[in-house]
Amino acid sequence: MNTPIRRLAFILLAVLGLIILDLTYLQVIAGPRYRDDLRNPRVAADRSSTERGPIVTREGIVLAESTPDEDSAQTFTRSYPEGALYAHAVGYTTLLFGSAGLERSYAQDLSSDSDLTISGVIDALLGREQGAEGIRLTFSHPVQETARQALAGQTGAVVAIEPSTGEVLALYSSPSYDPSVLLGESAAGGDGLAVDPLTPLRDRTIDQILAPGSVFKVITAAAALEGGLANPDTLYDDPLELALPGSTAVIRNADRGTCGDGTRVDLATAFRRSCNTVFGQIGIDTGAETIAAVAEAFGFNDEIPFDLPVLASSFPGESLAGDPAATAQSAIGQRDVQATPLQMALVAAVVANDGVLMRPYVVSERFDRDLNILAQSDPLELRRAISPGTAAALSDMMQDVVESGTGRAAQIADAVVGGKTGTAEIPGSDPHAWFVGFAQVEDRTVAVAVVVENGGDAGDEATGGAVAAPIARAVMEAWLRS
Amino acid sequence: MSRNAEAALLAGAAVLAALGISIVRVAGGESPDAQTALTFLVVALAFGSLHLAFRQWAANASPYLLPLTALLTAVGLVEIFRLDPSAAGLQRWWLLIAAGLGVATLAVLGSSGTDLLVRYRYLFLTAAVVSFMLPLLPSAWALGGVEVNGSRLWLQLRLFDTTLVRFQPGEIGKLFLVIFLASYLASRHAALTSMTRKLGKLSMPEPRQLFPLAIAWAVSLVILVYQRDLGASLLLLAVFAAMLYAATGRAIYPLAGGGLFLAGAVVAGTAFDHVQRRYDAWLRPWDDFADTGYQIGQSLFALGSGSLTGSGLGLGRPDFIPSATTDFLFAAVAEETGLAGSLAVVAAYALLVAVGFGIALRARDPYRKLLAAGLTAAIAIQTILIIGGVIRLLPLTGITLPFMSYGGSALVANMVAVVVLARISHEVAS
Repeated sequence: MNTPIRRLAFILLAVLGLIILDLTYLQVIAGPRYRDDLRNPRVAADRSSTERGPIVTREGIVLAESTPDEDSAQTFTRSYPEGALYAHAVGYTTLLFGSAGLERSYAQDLSSDSDLTISGVIDALLGREQGAEGIRLTFSHPVQETARQALAGQTGAVVAIEPSTGEVLALYSSPSYDPSVLLGESAAGGDGLAVDPLTPLRDRTIDQILAPGSVFKVITAAAALEGGLANPDTLYDDPLELALPGSTAVIRNADRGTCGDGTRVDLATAFRRSCNTVFGQIGIDTGAETIAAVAEAFGFNDEIPFDLPVLASSFPGESLAGDPAATAQSAIGQRDVQATPLQMALVAAVVANDGVLMRPYVVSERFDRDLNILAQSDPLELRRAISPGTAAALSDMMQDVVESGTGRAAQIADAVVGGKTGTAEIPGSDPHAWFVGFAQVEDRTVAVAVVVENGGDAGDEATGGAVAAPIARAVMEAWLRS
Repeated sequence: MSRNAEAALLAGAAVLAALGISIVRVAGGESPDAQTALTFLVVALAFGSLHLAFRQWAANASPYLLPLTALLTAVGLVEIFRLDPSAAGLQRWWLLIAAGLGVATLAVLGSSGTDLLVRYRYLFLTAAVVSFMLPLLPSAWALGGVEVNGSRLWLQLRLFDTTLVRFQPGEIGKLFLVIFLASYLASRHAALTSMTRKLGKLSMPEPRQLFPLAIAWAVSLVILVYQRDLGASLLLLAVFAAMLYAATGRAIYPLAGGGLFLAGAVVAGTAFDHVQRRYDAWLRPWDDFADTGYQIGQSLFALGSGSLTGSGLGLGRPDFIPSATTDFLFAAVAEETGLAGSLAVVAAYALLVAVGFGIALRARDPYRKLLAAGLTAAIAIQTILIIGGVIRLLPLTGITLPFMSYGGSALVANMVAVVVLARISHEVAS
């Protein structure tokens, strides 16, 4: 029986040989792929314990920093001194929950583990300063803090932008969370955050699209003006309700009344009073494709280039074409239109910047350990979204809204303020209260978008003018006075 | 190579264990402490007494068996200590118990030879069947079965609501089954080889010759169905098929065994959720990484992170791997010692397997040939199944890595197997 035993031995040893080949493949050839896989917790462990550069606001307030551990010279602990205030934008680098926000998108710049690259070795030989780079943000601490206070525990988001540069002055998403509960090896609080029905981990400024309601009328008006179909004085019919073609549905105004005296009403008045009947008609007259083209010029239907990933806002022009009823509803920001607060802030910023869309950015510079500036972000013009004439007309109409229309709660003494309110109807729930607008004092300008989901504290009484406009006023004032 | 060289190599294994424990302490930012001395003493005592027993009762035994076993045990002990020092403390006790039982086995075989085992072969068959069935005892009993991770392989002794000891009787049962099969097949291999019966176009042996084999096959199915464990069942059937093949030289036995097992495995996959999850984890680990693929994924990350030379003992993160001290101990070793260490471990197993089959080939009678081949095949197949599972060559079966994984039953059973192998080689050489 030696022959079968010899064969048996050969087979079993051959399988062990196969294991050796597979091990060599897994550990050496495919090794780096597994080692660097983002799901490999060792990657996060390395990142969360090595030194990483600080993140600071425009004023130099520290938002994230690494401090050396007491018991080891090699490991560091990351901390977020401002906690929940900047949690979404700054993000986190954790052992158990991965990374998010700028900590994730700027991981390469912030990390110090460049010492094994050729240039890293050369730098070391030449005695050049090594180590983690820091990043300075465009955030203004008073604006961000005001946004937090103004939202005061309601669910929603605030975005503030400097219109002529695209600098983002504030991004606040509520409810927020304290990133420190995600740190460490036991991080007990993280699982609770992940399943919290209020989704505190979600960045509502850029990672959630909502029906914009009447703030979308800025775009509808822009489309009508751009196409030469209308000017602010153009007169429209003023019915009690707008019957939608090919449908039994009708569009009514918020107060169930007519927009003006029930005869004819001009565009500027309809805009100031946020009349759905008139804007539904303008939508039908202008056409879904024209509105979509203007919406896309503002940034819809595409990813907005930004330092953080932004969910694309949508206006489905193609599927609305040939459906005037749906187009009318979409023209007043209902039905198929959805937008991020960042996108809506950019709409206001374009109006305040004579029609030019600037690339939004939040990282203004990278600096080394000695605070020498390594790189600076320059304002970048993405494109002209609308003509200067259209921008001027929209600006005037938006100023009327704040002066004597639905947005009077946004008035700031001695400042030029324009805006548009929105109260987006949500089936089965209280409406979202919106405000987009801008404010200017001398050479200081700011554009904002505010959304308070499901009415906030006001519940079903909520309107954009009553709930969102005061928040926008406080945030804009914080920048103008800072 | 002489017994003196064996003694020197065993001392080397004890020093290796002590160095490993010290390195783990230093890597953790501490100083070497009593654990180093304790581990050195336990390894030296366990293998020293086995060595002396060899000199007494197996003086002509192969000198390679014990050093290879000691090397694997020492590496396992160090890695267990690195992952869970308290588990390593328990494992040290198990090592002493295993060595004690090894010495006792050798003493018994020393006076009467391995022929003794032939005389009691049906006792071994009974003991094997009972061992496999013990975990099915009601859990409520003081001595009762326990279900762990969906499989019911464990027996625990409880007094006053505290668990005193847990044991996998199947590990010892496997050893008993090999002993039974070796003597049974040695006496009947002529009958099993002659295909006298015709079943249509197929020839087969007399059915009554196959009866005890049917019992062994039934046992492996019972494990699969009632204890719901793919690994133990597969191991048993594979060893069974290997021994039948060695005895008869007829490939039909392993092929039929494999076919039957595959059929059983497919049925188990559809019937038992936890078996289905193992298949999913094996074939599509990345599809559902957060759930079914998590274990094997962490294992592959550990292997890849280890790369060529490893992170260094105590400097990797094998604590990310689930069940690192048991099912995935090999992945932990591979992460911290790299390909260099993992290949060394596989090479040590391959050498042990080669030595074992060498003993089988040199044995002059069928019984000793089959016993040596069976014991060696059991160690080889168990090693292949678990390392293959850890590196995703095979579905993960959750059995222990011989000599290295944390667990007393496996260490005891495998140590006794090595001692029996040694005694056979002594009898062959004498």
